Amino acid sequence: MKRNENREGIKGMANPGRYGIERFAYWLMRLTGLGLLAFFVGHIYETSKILNGKTAWENMLASTSTTEGHVFLTLVIGMCVYHTANGIRLMLGHSGYGVGKPARPDYPYTPASQNNMHKLCIYASIGLAALAMMYGISVLFGE
Amino acid sequence: MRESTIMKIHYGTALGAVVLVAVHVLFRVTMMNYEDSLAYENVLANYKFLPYAIMLELILVLISVHGFNGLRVILLELKQGRTYEKAVTYGCIAAMAGLIAYGSRTILITSMGIT
Repeated sequence: MKRNENREGIKGMANPGRYGIERFAYWLMRLTGLGLLAFFVGHIYETSKILNGKTAWENMLASTSTTEGHVFLTLVIGMCVYHTANGIRLMLGHSGYGVGKPARPDYPYTPASQNNMHKLCIYASIGLAALAMMYGISVLFGE
Repeated sequence: MRESTIMKIHYGTALGAVVLVAVHVLFRVTMMNYEDSLAYENVLANYKFLPYAIMLELILVLISVHGFNGLRVILLELKQGRTYEKAVTYGCIAAMAGLIAYGSRTILITSMGIT
């Protein structure tokens, strides 16, 4: 068997299924991270328009203050909140909090670190992101 | 630099960015109406308020470091190899430095009132 035969590369990384909610959280963490980085680069570029004067700034605002622009901003809010909440869960996990105590591996070899508390935190992160998006919609579309 | 040190920097920049971005967003939604807060004169006034300009610069540095290190981690998970890893690391450092320089230029020129 060739060394790379079993290597899926980007296709493997882009597949959120097969390994439960933890795998989905991993996938969403990377997806939101890339999305937020792209938004950040775009945000730095759009705010630099202020250097070109009032007209350029207002033109930039007009091109982004559209329904599509607001929908995109709502998605950014959701990505930001999920990335933050799930990131805090990961930091705590990497620091040894909430991952269970070391024990002898017995059948059915349930990993202590993949416990209900972490699963609950993942669902809570997604829920918080949804709430933040609803708040974002009320601010962006509510006036 | 050791990978464990890089991860500590990654977590530190994340926590710092969360706090400062929260303040940045609160400035947009609590000081006045969201639309009004984006008016040219108000944004200019924000930049000319030195503590706020310093905060924007900090956000720029923290998110750039965190974001491009995150991108580096994702790219290193995809593929490994001495040349590839060096190219990814130096590429991310260059992109980070470029973004910080570009953003700092906006903050510096606007806060000094050269526009």
